[in-house]
Amino acid sequence: MSRDRRQDHDLKRGLGNAFGVRRSPIRPAARWLDTNLGGSGLLRAELRHIFPDSWAFFLGEIAMFCFIILVATGIFLALFFQASEAPVVYDGSYAPLAGAEISIAYDSVLELSLDVPAGLLMRQVHHWAALVFVGALIIHLLRMLLTAAYRRPRRINYLIGVSLVLLVGMNGLMGYSLPDDLLSGTGLRIAFSITESIPFIGPALATLLFGGEFPSGGLIARIYPVHIFLLPAAIAGLLGAHLGLLWLQRHTQFPGPGRSDRVIVGTPMVPAYALRTTGYLLMVAGVCTAFAAFAQINPVWLYGPYRAWDATTAAQPDWYMGWLEGAVRMMPGWDIQIGGLLIPAIFWPAVVLPGLIFTPLFLVPWIDWVATRDGAFHNVLMLPGQHPVRSALTAGFIAFLTVLLVAGGNDVFAFVYGWSQPAFLTVLQYLFFLLPPAVAVVTYALLRVRARRWATTVR
Amino acid sequence: MTTWPIGLGIVATIAGAVGFAVSFVAGWSNAWLGGSLALALLGLGLALAFWGRDLAGDEVIAGRYPVPPDDTDGQAALATQLDEHASVITRRSFLSKFLIFGVGIFALSQVVLLGALGPWPGDSLTTTGWRKGRRLVTADGEPITRDALPTGGFLVAFPEGGDDKAGSQVALLHFVNGDFVPQEGRESWSPEDFVAYSRVCTHAGCPVAEYADVDQTLVCPCHQSEFDVLHGARVLSGPASRPLPQLPLAIDEDGFLYAQSDFTETVGPGFWNAT
Repeated sequence: MSRDRRQDHDLKRGLGNAFGVRRSPIRPAARWLDTNLGGSGLLRAELRHIFPDSWAFFLGEIAMFCFIILVATGIFLALFFQASEAPVVYDGSYAPLAGAEISIAYDSVLELSLDVPAGLLMRQVHHWAALVFVGALIIHLLRMLLTAAYRRPRRINYLIGVSLVLLVGMNGLMGYSLPDDLLSGTGLRIAFSITESIPFIGPALATLLFGGEFPSGGLIARIYPVHIFLLPAAIAGLLGAHLGLLWLQRHTQFPGPGRSDRVIVGTPMVPAYALRTTGYLLMVAGVCTAFAAFAQINPVWLYGPYRAWDATTAAQPDWYMGWLEGAVRMMPGWDIQIGGLLIPAIFWPAVVLPGLIFTPLFLVPWIDWVATRDGAFHNVLMLPGQHPVRSALTAGFIAFLTVLLVAGGNDVFAFVYGWSQPAFLTVLQYLFFLLPPAVAVVTYALLRVRARRWATTVR
Repeated sequence: MTTWPIGLGIVATIAGAVGFAVSFVAGWSNAWLGGSLALALLGLGLALAFWGRDLAGDEVIAGRYPVPPDDTDGQAALATQLDEHASVITRRSFLSKFLIFGVGIFALSQVVLLGALGPWPGDSLTTTGWRKGRRLVTADGEPITRDALPTGGFLVAFPEGGDDKAGSQVALLHFVNGDFVPQEGRESWSPEDFVAYSRVCTHAGCPVAEYADVDQTLVCPCHQSEFDVLHGARVLSGPASRPLPQLPLAIDEDGFLYAQSDFTETVGPGFWNAT
């Protein structure tokens, strides 16, 4: 800066000060806010809201970012998708399907994927973000279990979190059912069969929900508002409550110097935390976009339209439904016939098992309370090694889900490794019972051995 | 404060943004479009994250968690206050109970709206498009004659003019003379060793689409149930429990295959009152 210009600059600043004017627009903005809405004092305090730091606290954030990405890309997709199963003759740019009679829904997804500029990118970002969303939620949930973050005063927020896992998984299932391609139609057929299997109410419930015997021809028009309005509204509401409670109660923190159940140590929201979090949001969006650019996902034009008499081999649902698929594959065909009452074998893995998994999961804070007799307020997390039983049970739970997930792809594993498929299934059936307790016992033993060392590092 | 990663991130953002716009206008591939957008997002994200990290190094503060409630007096006061408000209503005990009853009846009445969602199952789950005398046709509607399917062959067939194509689909097999063993009571269902099985899997309803002629099995691609077609489509392996129902077939004097009747048992997955 030259001598003359600096003098000029100084002169201007001097004049500004002399007339009591600051060039920054923030002060009038703050005054406007305070006089029109009030509460500047409260806002000032909340800008200094403290967030404890840990990489583990990033998991829930990833999930939240995925929701934002899904809403943004979903709005783009909704401009093009048409939820109708009425037939139309395909005349788009994908030559192998030229002249084929397909549904309007499938036609609109083909056009979106192959003929709308950036349409494929948006669809693939949407699908990848959904896969990352459920993954982040589940790892976030496991972190809660391993560090006992669900204890008072966060029991209610834990319930909201588990509900979110359920709702998000359900909405993912709705989403990949919409394109009316061969895979999605086959998935819906299986869902109809599972609903039918519920004793007494099953058949009526199935025809009620699906609009008649499958395929009813009106199902996609029915799923669409559920996928883009009903479930997203529920998810947004629960997510808002989840974050609201987090805000009021403050975030938990790992043990460390100066930290206690009374004193929270961390970074204030403004400016560092807000900058970093915005950066992480953009990075998660960037990673999902990079996947969408370079890793093809759900190429529905290759699968072809859904026809009830067509089938694909090696058909797999999205990964987060793999556990349910695995359970359905592993259950032997043990139908129960009592007089005129038939309970099909698929009822147990597809209806009862999810209940057996989610009911205890919802009850974890109260099970923990009964087992430990600890009903006090806790803001400092436990380390996984501090409570070997809790960690061992979580490890067993992870092993259990892993066996189910592998069974969901048993045909692919058997094909790739050249194993006999029925024999591999038998091995998995044994592992279903043996692996979870084995992993739990080994985890418990390892943690007990290291327990003292953990305890000393913590202090 | 290290400024170079922040600057580099901003440069990547600008490059990615320009690349995205150019790729879109030029109609380049998904990889260019997505790659440039990813570069822009990651660049900006990294810049902000680095900046935030530098600032965070400067500032760690302590504060107070909200204290656990030990204000029992306040809680008691709140309870008393609520009790007083509530007693305005509960004092008139009959009327308040009547109100709850009325609200309950109203809520129950709204359940009938669920009935708008779909028809009752009726006989739709227990019947198919097959009737006595209905001919077997291909997916294109061509009637199937005995000459259309040589021994060892396999076709997907539907009832002529029948609705419920999904539930009526059958796997039509023509066995080499002597291979096929009819089940008891079904000796007349397989004229000239033509046999038709329901193609809807009894496990979860997928089409049992794969015919392995070496093993003489039908395999469901969804959950890998195997059915032995030589012996009444009984289950060999996999999660299915019931055999595939067999359609009683006949052949008329012109050589056309037709059904003697509908299936004699429920097609597809089981439910509580399936036969």
